[in-house]
Amino acid sequence: MIGVYREFEGCMRLAGHVLRRLPALALPPVAEALTRQIYFTGASATAGIVLRGAFIGTFIIAYVIDVLEADAALAVKILVWVVLREMGPLIAAVLVIQRSGTAITTELALMQISGEVASLRQMRIDPRDYLVVPRVVGVALSTAALTVYVQVIAVGGGMLLSSLTIDASLGELTGEFFALASPVDFVYAVIKSFLFGAAIALVCCYHGLHPPGTSINAVPKAAINGVTQSTLLVLLLNVVFAYLVFGQAFFGLVTAKL
Amino acid sequence: MSSVEPAAQGDAGPAGTASARDVALGYEPPAGRGERRVWIPLGGSHSAGTLSEFQRKRLLGAVLEVKPEPETRLVLLGVDVDGLRPAGRAALRDRIAFLPADGGLLSNLNAWENIVLPIGFHQPGQLPGVAAQVGALLEGLGADPRDLLAKLPERMTPYEKKLTGYVRIALENPDLVLAEEPQGGLDSAERAAAARFAAMYLERRPGGTFVQLEVARER
Repeated sequence: MIGVYREFEGCMRLAGHVLRRLPALALPPVAEALTRQIYFTGASATAGIVLRGAFIGTFIIAYVIDVLEADAALAVKILVWVVLREMGPLIAAVLVIQRSGTAITTELALMQISGEVASLRQMRIDPRDYLVVPRVVGVALSTAALTVYVQVIAVGGGMLLSSLTIDASLGELTGEFFALASPVDFVYAVIKSFLFGAAIALVCCYHGLHPPGTSINAVPKAAINGVTQSTLLVLLLNVVFAYLVFGQAFFGLVTAKL
Repeated sequence: MSSVEPAAQGDAGPAGTASARDVALGYEPPAGRGERRVWIPLGGSHSAGTLSEFQRKRLLGAVLEVKPEPETRLVLLGVDVDGLRPAGRAALRDRIAFLPADGGLLSNLNAWENIVLPIGFHQPGQLPGVAAQVGALLEGLGADPRDLLAKLPERMTPYEKKLTGYVRIALENPDLVLAEEPQGGLDSAERAAAARFAAMYLERRPGGTFVQLEVARER
């Protein structure tokens, strides 16, 4: 329990440092690290992540339509509520954890164990400025961008699939979609996924910089800690966000009494 | 280049009472811990002698954090650290550079990126003029900048790693350089080249102090 509290406190301190030191992004080495992180998380992985996200989103819609024998209105409700608001950000976050979260934790843990973090201190460079700030900002921006891609393709794919499986044309579904979806849905999803990305990077950076040992065995342990805790944090944030913004969580199973 | 002098200077006076004024690096550990006293005068090139790994860790920790262990006296660049406020310690730290035995490079950056990393942080305005200085320093030490600068540390020889680390600290023009085993693990030709690190530093920084540390590795 004390360990959990320490890790939580450590992540919160790291978050405070990132907020305070955002101006460090103007320094050339930090700006370069930010560009690399955005390229790694948001650009080089785009095709794979978006395709996987779109497949998952489309299959969810296909199954739900089949099980519920949905009509056009219900199919579009599922698209907006499930894919746009919830699954889009969640799918992007899970895929970012899989790819970038593991990479960040492993890289930083190796740097810590091999003495490279100490080298930064010897150069009078705060490792958090150089290693954490650009990763948190880069992963947050990239996750938000990936979410938009996943949403567009998953919603587009879902509507296409729906038009083939239920008695409604693509134009009819599109009309229903734009009638039901509001800018709030989109802004909500983008802000949420930005926070998901920041949380993933913070937790993974924290575990990378605090590996549970000084031998090479500590690296996979740090990676496991980073991945499991960032996944839990993302799910927790998702519930909190849904409850705060729409007054309900778990797709309506928990409802706010306002 | 000044001659390399022994680590313990006889003119320093008794431990704990010696004047700090002309001292670049003074380290007086408490008695009974098995550590040697290190007393290096300001200016020139000196050797701190061979330290145990334990003392190396203590000494470097104290110097690089400008914060000695309790009961340990630390003098840096003529200043007794004990009486300094945090801002004074930070200002002092900015005048000191450390060259680790392996160059202290980051493995995911190539030689050029490693070299300009601290400049980019501490003096970003100087970045535009750095390329010419780096080229001159590398050529002066017999290396081909076109060959070295794009290399990642994993593809460098031990000498290239030390050279890259040396160029990185030379650009910062520190008043005190602590170089750990600058000639350790090198062949004779490379040792000769690495022996010029101190002379080149003193050419660029007259009045500076270059201190070599040797470490007795435990087997």
